[in-house]
Amino acid sequence: MIRVAVVSAGLGAPSSTRLLADLLGEATERAVAARGESVETTHVELRPLARALADHLVTGFPADDLAAALRSVQHADAVIAVTPVFAASYSGLFKTFFDVVEPGALDGTPVLVAATAGTARHSLVLEHAMRPLFAHLRAAPVPTGVFAASEDFGDAGAGGVTGSLQKRVDRAAAELAALLATDAGAAPTPRRRSVEDEFADPTPFETLLRGARQGDDD
Amino acid sequence: MQIGIFSVGDVTPDPTTGRTPTEHERIRATVEIAKKADEIGLDVFATGEHHNPPFVSSAPTTTLAWIGAQTENLILSTATTLITTTDPVLIAENYAKLQHLTGGRVDLMLGRGNTGPVYPWFGKDIRDGLNLAIENYDLLHRLWREDVVNWQGRFRTPLQGFTSTPRPLDGAPPFVWHGSIRSPEIAEQAAYYGNGFFHNHIFWPPSHAGQMIDLYRRRFEHYGHGAADQAIVGLGGQFFMRPNSQDAWKEFRPYFDVAPVYGHGPSLEDFASQTPLTVGSPQQVLERTLGFREYAGDYQRQLFLVDHAGLPLKTVLEQLDLLGEILPALRAGFAEGRPDHVPDAPTHDSLAASASQREEVDA
Repeated sequence: MIRVAVVSAGLGAPSSTRLLADLLGEATERAVAARGESVETTHVELRPLARALADHLVTGFPADDLAAALRSVQHADAVIAVTPVFAASYSGLFKTFFDVVEPGALDGTPVLVAATAGTARHSLVLEHAMRPLFAHLRAAPVPTGVFAASEDFGDAGAGGVTGSLQKRVDRAAAELAALLATDAGAAPTPRRRSVEDEFADPTPFETLLRGARQGDDD
Repeated sequence: MQIGIFSVGDVTPDPTTGRTPTEHERIRATVEIAKKADEIGLDVFATGEHHNPPFVSSAPTTTLAWIGAQTENLILSTATTLITTTDPVLIAENYAKLQHLTGGRVDLMLGRGNTGPVYPWFGKDIRDGLNLAIENYDLLHRLWREDVVNWQGRFRTPLQGFTSTPRPLDGAPPFVWHGSIRSPEIAEQAAYYGNGFFHNHIFWPPSHAGQMIDLYRRRFEHYGHGAADQAIVGLGGQFFMRPNSQDAWKEFRPYFDVAPVYGHGPSLEDFASQTPLTVGSPQQVLERTLGFREYAGDYQRQLFLVDHAGLPLKTVLEQLDLLGEILPALRAGFAEGRPDHVPDAPTHDSLAASASQREEVDA
């Protein structure tokens, strides 16, 4: 069972960002299912969490719905992250969500980056804003990012999506699925220990004390 | 069960009048509040330690000594002493001195502090926060238990043949609580030494406090200090009460809405449902407080934050009067169903008794 979290930061209803997120989620499910594995997809829509995110910045803890959303991203084997373009970058809502994801939660996690905007001239946002963000988070963005402008949601293809967008979606999903291929021989990507790990299996105090003396924190 | 109050010493404008108390007024008010706590029969008064405005809680041992001189029974504690930026040798000396002056009415609650800028003021680096807490306490622990210490570490100069003075009263160092909101490592530290663990319990959801306490209890047992339910747990908490619940909500709301620590965020209703903050009648405060045992187990110390966010001294004293009224019911409620093998929080008398027993065995 492969767990995919699809984070979308669209604000409209209906939202083209959510539409792109759905296309990417479905394409990923198909690509993984083609190998005979099952997928559990969780959609994290940020709009209903906007207040909770602002509260989290002030209080330092997430309210229940936001906590569940953060857990689904932390436990995901892959993340699909989709944002509208605001002021030449990802939206503030999108950034705020990733600001409160626990450090280390995305270490080595394959991430498919995607964005929507009114015009294709914003398409480099994937490369100059989203990739650096996920590089900082030590995630592993797939080579193909998917950008969709309004014109991509014309009526040329099935479901009102042009053939060209669907092709890019499928290619990116295939790349994501390839990174999720089960490889029994490969060592798992090392992750930083999370607070959850410490609760489940605490670092013995002797180790903490030795670490303090030797300065090998982090 | 020890019941008391803890203060952070913030100087905050009263949002209903716009008036900010002077530092002098706030410092004197802190003393008045502690005296009131003694008068209504509370067990503990604890003060925070901050070194930056708008707080006036630097030099905690000076404050506690002055309070100690004017009170009879109150245990004087900190909440918290900065084990990261304060030299452990200085902590050993200051609190042992305070212990002698107050006849043993002293506890120490250790924490890391949470403002980055404080660290460089004392020659430290916040990135070392956890390691400082670990190494510094390890030294403090030895300074109070070994008459002559030879020590070398990473964060301060080595000690050769050093004796910290005065030695702890009756050979019994002050009981130490380790306080942390979110770091499992500090719960682990408390468990390792068999010290107390205190969860601040005012900013975060009860589920988080429950998780920290559970870890501490499990590890306390792991390190052989007793069964998990015998571990020494303290909880913070905060309330605002009036005889009539609606009056409490109405009066507290403006203070909550602009409070530096949680204002401008969730509504008072949301915050009260998401965290242990209780606004309401004395009966409601009583019931919710007794409910803390559902996730903390039978615990040993309950401290309330009552003097913050710009609440005027008069209001704080009224809050304490109301607390005094429910205190007998609170004590009775905590005693109810508490198993005999769950210990009370250690006091100077109990620690001194076991210290003298140890001496007899050694002799």
